[in-house]
Amino acid sequence: MISLQNVTKIYRLSGGQTKTIVNDLTIDLPFRNIAVLGRNGMGKSTLLRMIAGIEEPDSGRIRRSVNISWPLGFRGSFHRELSGLENVRFVARIYGQDTESVVAQVEEFADLGPFFREPYKTYSSGMGARLAFGVSMAINFDVYLIDELMSVGDARFQAKSKKAFQNKLGRSRIIMVSHSMDALRDYCDCAVVMEEGKMIFHDSLAPAIAMYRAMNAR
Amino acid sequence: MWLCSGTILPVAGFETQAGQADRGVVPPRSSARLPGPLIIHIRVVFALLLREARVRHGRSRIGYTWALVEPALLIIVMTVFFSTLALQSTSSVEYALFFATGILPFQYFRNASSYLAGAFDSNQSLFNYPLVKPIDAIIARFVLDTCTVLLVMMMVLTFQVLVLKAPPPRYPAMMLLSVVLFGLLAFGVGLNLAVTRRVMPSISNIYSVIMGPSFFLSCVFYPLSSLPTQYRDLLGWNPLVHGVEGFRLGYYTAYRAPDLDLWYLFAWGLTLIFIGLARERAAKKHQA
Repeated sequence: MISLQNVTKIYRLSGGQTKTIVNDLTIDLPFRNIAVLGRNGMGKSTLLRMIAGIEEPDSGRIRRSVNISWPLGFRGSFHRELSGLENVRFVARIYGQDTESVVAQVEEFADLGPFFREPYKTYSSGMGARLAFGVSMAINFDVYLIDELMSVGDARFQAKSKKAFQNKLGRSRIIMVSHSMDALRDYCDCAVVMEEGKMIFHDSLAPAIAMYRAMNAR
Repeated sequence: MWLCSGTILPVAGFETQAGQADRGVVPPRSSARLPGPLIIHIRVVFALLLREARVRHGRSRIGYTWALVEPALLIIVMTVFFSTLALQSTSSVEYALFFATGILPFQYFRNASSYLAGAFDSNQSLFNYPLVKPIDAIIARFVLDTCTVLLVMMMVLTFQVLVLKAPPPRYPAMMLLSVVLFGLLAFGVGLNLAVTRRVMPSISNIYSVIMGPSFFLSCVFYPLSSLPTQYRDLLGWNPLVHGVEGFRLGYYTAYRAPDLDLWYLFAWGLTLIFIGLARERAAKKHQA
């Protein structure tokens, strides 16, 4: 589904230091719901960005045979000066979707009321997350990349997003980064653990979480 | 092999084929299949274009009229200034036309290049969509600004001809060619500025400082042929001179521009675009 071949990604930090995200990594990610685990700074978000195709690896190839979303997360994907509505139109246009039908779906799902027509910069982070979630639900992808998005919003919104995702999971899968083990347990059935440039696949979630906990305890 | 639950596997040499069938996890046919890369580029540029048009001049009421008001004001101020100072008996109408044919192409270059320079910064959040590439943002800004400027040029010159009774342009194709070559240069300069701003945001301030005196050094309010030879040779190195002179040569029936070299302007534009694209490609691998 998504296959990484000899992928290396190293960040050069100011001051001449380097940070290895992955080093000569070859892995085939199956079409399943995958949790991505790793301590802070191990490059989980960078991995998602490389899978999405926003960042290129320094060397190696990433092959994708499925349609992959952008990483859904806090990291803003909206323009501050434009309203929620205009931002939604933009996303619908670049993905070649019917603009007004996407707008209608998002307006209903995100439940922003009059704020839907206000500039994005006036939104609270919860409202921004609702908008982001709404847009991604309105466009069909085979694989959704989720970067900490699930753990936002109040209980009502969490229930709503969970329900929306359950509908999607009939035909789509997710690759999810989260620090909330509960969120990962809710959605994922396998995991990769990132550590010092390496990535280890686990066929079920429990041992991956155990390994992650052990790493944190060290 | 990947079914050995919980075992720590050596990452290389991992196989996924085994066992995939029994879980029924074959990717379905997606409804949002992506078309070819060219279609995506066009679609993205179009979406960015609409977005840019929405926020270009802020959300103020004046908005787009500013694109017309700015050059018009500049032409009026300079016409009044020079008409008052004038020693010869040149009419204000002649001044107005002369300044218009200098200011319009010059301002196009100056505004477009600094507008393109901000293309990456102000669209940063949108690059989170894998389909949106930085070069699309530059192209969208370029198309928007060029279309706006062409419209403004037509309005200003039409006004001159119809209301001020200026003579109509002699070779509109020559004027258009000068604008196109200026456009290439603006694209090249803007692209390089945008790439540089990633590592050095202050480059835009430096650029403004450079562009200040260039207003006086680009034949905006005098013809190159009016200068003494040694200054003429010196100013000839400035590519902007050739764009302005070319534009005028196209407008006036009897304009003298013996030092005009549009190939020189073209070479500058092409070289800078080439360098800018190469730098952008090199930077792509290492952007944070």
